[in-house]
Amino acid sequence: MAYLSMGEAHRRITDYLNRFSDAVFSQDVSSLKQLLSFSSNSPFLISLADALNLFQDANRLIKQSDKYSQFGDIILPLFRSLQNYRTGNLVESYQAFEKSANAFIQEFRNWESAWALEALYVLAYEIRVLAERADRELASTGKSPEKLKAAGSYLMKVFGVLAGKGAKRVGALYVTCQLFKIYFKLGTVHLCRSVIRSIETARIFDFEEFPKRDKVTYMYYTGRLEVFNENFPAADQKLSYSLMHCNPQNGANIRMILKYLIPVKLSIGILPKDSILVKFDLVEYSNIVQALRRGDLRLLRQALQDHEDQFLRSGVYLVLEKLELQVYQRLLKKIYIIQKQKDPSKAHQMKLEVIVKALKWLEMDMDVDEVECIVAILIYKNLVKGYFAHKSKVVVLSKQDPFPKLNGKPVNS
Amino acid sequence: MGGVGGGVGFLLDEVGVYCEFEMATEQKTVTEDAKIDLFEDDDEFEEFEINEEWEDKEEGKDVAQQWEDDWDDDDVNDDFSLQLRRELENNTEKT
Repeated sequence: MAYLSMGEAHRRITDYLNRFSDAVFSQDVSSLKQLLSFSSNSPFLISLADALNLFQDANRLIKQSDKYSQFGDIILPLFRSLQNYRTGNLVESYQAFEKSANAFIQEFRNWESAWALEALYVLAYEIRVLAERADRELASTGKSPEKLKAAGSYLMKVFGVLAGKGAKRVGALYVTCQLFKIYFKLGTVHLCRSVIRSIETARIFDFEEFPKRDKVTYMYYTGRLEVFNENFPAADQKLSYSLMHCNPQNGANIRMILKYLIPVKLSIGILPKDSILVKFDLVEYSNIVQALRRGDLRLLRQALQDHEDQFLRSGVYLVLEKLELQVYQRLLKKIYIIQKQKDPSKAHQMKLEVIVKALKWLEMDMDVDEVECIVAILIYKNLVKGYFAHKSKVVVLSKQDPFPKLNGKPVNS
Repeated sequence: MGGVGGGVGFLLDEVGVYCEFEMATEQKTVTEDAKIDLFEDDDEFEEFEINEEWEDKEEGKDVAQQWEDDWDDDDVNDDFSLQLRRELENNTEKT
């Protein structure tokens, strides 16, 4: 560190105090934001942190003047947080930051207008990422990581302040998205439910009025929840919304949306073109798509096996596994067409033995009874129209539309 | 999985099994800082800047159009279908 005189340290601290109170009095949110954004690592904040660590008695400076002392509850812990942040004591830093953020939300509640909303966004973001880092520090010293959970509680409080009527409500969705990120990380996604209800049942506020960036993020996370609930039409609608409105420059986010949207689309009988799989590096889905096109059960199993870890991690494995029925449907359809080309008059009678042979070729050993069971399920799920001539071990296919398409609807359950 | 067991098994379970959300929150060991058991979400959405603005058009809609719903055609001239046909015909001759 370059030499820092006491006078210089003093000057930097009063400079910060002046900027803070000026920003509040003039309701200048862009200045205020900069004063709170630790993770930006701005030279201004770094040099302030060094000044605080040298000067040690900022408390006295704050108390000297009413102009500063009225924000003491915010600024003092914020200073302590920044000092610890600078020296890498992230748990200490988090604790002080939370204290400051609590004092801030008290002030914010009393301000009638929503002028400081963007500063609150900064706090909401900072507290989350600081909590994550603090938890890493706790875990590395063998202690239980609990700060991210605490940050979640704080943000619920913020949500409560914003979610009422009035101009501040427009900020509720940003906080909701920060909460989603915490809950998904902690594995407590059931906690999303109450915020979702509050967002979606509000008559007084139209969803479309929220900022676009928050709507896109919200639809991504609620879409993922619908995937886990296996509610595919809702998942399709939410993830497609997110995809349509996402910043086209943000390839990483588009990729994440597609990562969940593709299995959803597949499950309702819609395939992605190869070009997007390549463009967004989602080639783990290539063979699955190919398996559906062909009716290739062997390839489906192979593809599931090859990327099992990946699919399990993202939670889409079960969704993909269920594509098997559609692949069976496709295989039967191919057999049907091949038979039809040979002898149109008999094509709608399909011997179960023929299916057994096709499956054997695909290295799936099944006997006639097992195949009958599969076909029964296909009929029950309306993927095949037909009936059994049980004695002769034949499935008699409907002459009209024997293999109904899903047409964007999920397989009957 | 494998065999009919895998295939039919999940169908029978389907009604009773309610998939909780554990998948997304699998624990991950961060190798570089010793052994840290922290929850992770591999697919955390990137933050947009607070004042980030963009036009909806182009890419979003472009990507949104990259889907096929009429792929389930009657074409059986691909390699897979040709082999399938050969298999079925072979077998018919044998029986």
